Amino acid sequence: MAAAAAAVRQWSVPLLSCVVPVGFAVWAFPEGLPPIRAAGIVTGWLGCGLLLVSLLLMLREPRLAAWLGGLERMYRWHHGTGLAAYLVLLLHPLLLAANNLPAARVAWQTLSPFTESWPVWSGWLGLLLLMGGLVTTFIRSIRYGTWRWLHALLGLGVLTGLVHLILLGIDEPVLPILAVAAAILGWRLIRGDLGLAARPYVVTSARPLAARSVEVVLRPLGDPAMVTPGQFVLAEFGNGARYRGCGEFHPFTVSTIANRDELHLAIKALGDCTTRMLAIEPGVAARVIGGFGGFVDPHGKAPQFWVAGGIGVTPFVALLNAGPLLHPTRLLYLYRSEADAAFLPELRATAASDPKFTLHAVETGDDVPDLGPLLPTAGELSRAECYLCGPPGLVAALKSALAARGVTAQHVHYENFEFR
Amino acid sequence: MMRKLFYVSTAAFWIAVAGFWIGNLLVPGTDTSATAAEREIGSAELARHAVPQDCWMAIRGNVYDITAYLPDHPSRPSIIEPWCGKEASEAYDTKTKGRKHSPEADALLPKYRIGRFVGGG
Repeated sequence: MAAAAAAVRQWSVPLLSCVVPVGFAVWAFPEGLPPIRAAGIVTGWLGCGLLLVSLLLMLREPRLAAWLGGLERMYRWHHGTGLAAYLVLLLHPLLLAANNLPAARVAWQTLSPFTESWPVWSGWLGLLLLMGGLVTTFIRSIRYGTWRWLHALLGLGVLTGLVHLILLGIDEPVLPILAVAAAILGWRLIRGDLGLAARPYVVTSARPLAARSVEVVLRPLGDPAMVTPGQFVLAEFGNGARYRGCGEFHPFTVSTIANRDELHLAIKALGDCTTRMLAIEPGVAARVIGGFGGFVDPHGKAPQFWVAGGIGVTPFVALLNAGPLLHPTRLLYLYRSEADAAFLPELRATAASDPKFTLHAVETGDDVPDLGPLLPTAGELSRAECYLCGPPGLVAALKSALAARGVTAQHVHYENFEFR
Repeated sequence: MMRKLFYVSTAAFWIAVAGFWIGNLLVPGTDTSATAAEREIGSAELARHAVPQDCWMAIRGNVYDITAYLPDHPSRPSIIEPWCGKEASEAYDTKTKGRKHSPEADALLPKYRIGRFVGGG
C-alpha cells in the first residue's frame, strides 16, 4: 500500500505532463495534411495540454499536493511545463506559416496580425500575454506583490488561447477544455489567493530566533489545519495595533506543533513582507492553508544525513521536537555566523542528550563553503538517505557533491521553496 | 537555464516572424485574379461537385475548386462540407455569427478559382 502511494507520488506529475498533451495531440491529430501544417497543429495541441497541466500544478490544495508529491515539486513542474508549453506554442504559428512558404505572400498572411481576423488576433494576443507573463517571471527585481498580478497575465493568456481555438470554429473539443482551465483558475483564485481554503488562527506570541528571524506562535480559532512535523504552511497575517499585514499568503515552515495543534512558525526576513513580520505582535489574526511538503521520511529504515542552510534547518528542528529519532541521523548545519543560526542552542542540547543525533554546525561566512571536507565519506553515505533544505545555490552544490560521492538521485531529497 | 531558454527562444521567434515579413516585402506584387479561362459554370455543373473529395463552391460570382484546401480549413468539416456544390456566398460572408471571412481567406481564394458562376441550369 505504502509502495503504491509512493509510486503515485513519484510518477503522477511526469505522467500527467506527458499523457495530457500527447492525448490532446493524438485526439486532434490531423490526417492527410502536409507534414509541416500537421506539425503546426500538433504543436498547438501539445501547448494547450501542457498549459492545462501547468495550471493544475499551481493549485494549493493539501490533498492534491500529497498525491502529486508535494507543493514544492508541483511548482518545479509548474515552471517546467509552463515553459515547455510556451516553446511549442512559439513553433505553432511559425510552422503554419512555413507550410505556405512556397508563396511568401500567403505565408506572411497566415502569420500577420494585421489582417482583420479575430481568430488570428486572439492567437497573437494569447501568445503575447504568455510572453509578457513569462518576462515578468524572469525579472527577479520585480516586487512580489506586483509580480503576482503580472503573473496572472499567464492565466489570461491561456484563456485567450482557448478563445482563439473557438473563433477558429474548433469549439467541439475546446469548450470542455476552456471550462476546465477556467475552473482551475477560479479555484486557485478563490481558495488559494482569496483564502477560502484557509483556517483562522491568532498570533499568541513571537520571539526573536536569530538575526532577522523570528518564531511566531499561532493558536487555532476553529478547526486546525492538518499539519505534521517537517511540513510548511501558507500563512497570511492581518493587522494588529501597530503591525500591518501584507495581505499575501507566504510559505513558512513549522518548527514545532505544540499541544497537538498550536503552530510555531520560523520566519526569516527575506523580502518586504517577511521583514515587516519581525515586528509582529500578539493578537494579530492569521489564516493558514496546509500543511504541505514533509520531504523527510521519519519512518525510513536507513540512517539519515540532513543538510540545512540557514533557516532551512526548521523542518529538521520540527522532526527533532516531534519525538525521539528512530535511526542514526547526522545534521550538517551551515550558517553565515552564530548570530544568524536559528535554533542552535536547542540543536546542541539535543545532540548532547540523544545518542542517535550528531550535529555538525559550521559557520560559513557569505559564500557557499567548500563542501568536500564537510560531507561524510562515500562509505558513510552509501546506505544513507540525504535530505537537503536551504537556498537553491547551496542545494545545487550539495546535489553535485553528493553525486560525486556516489549517492544516487533517488537517495537525495530536497526542498528549497522556489514558489515564484 | 530556464531564463536563458526563454530569452533565446523568444528572440528566435521574433527573428523568424521578421523573416516572414521581409520575405513578403521582397516578393513583387502579383495580380492574383484568375488567369484561368473565363469558363462559365452553371448550377447543375456546380451541383455535380458536391462531395469533399470533389468540392466546388460558388462565391460572389466565381466558382472555386476547394477540394485540395478542405483539409486545411480550420473549422470542423461539418461546417464547410455541406456547402460543396452550392452557391456559398452567404455562408462565406456570414461566418460564425455574421462575421466575414478574413482578408487572409480572400487572398487564398483566387488560387482555387476555376471559372465564372452563371447560375441557372
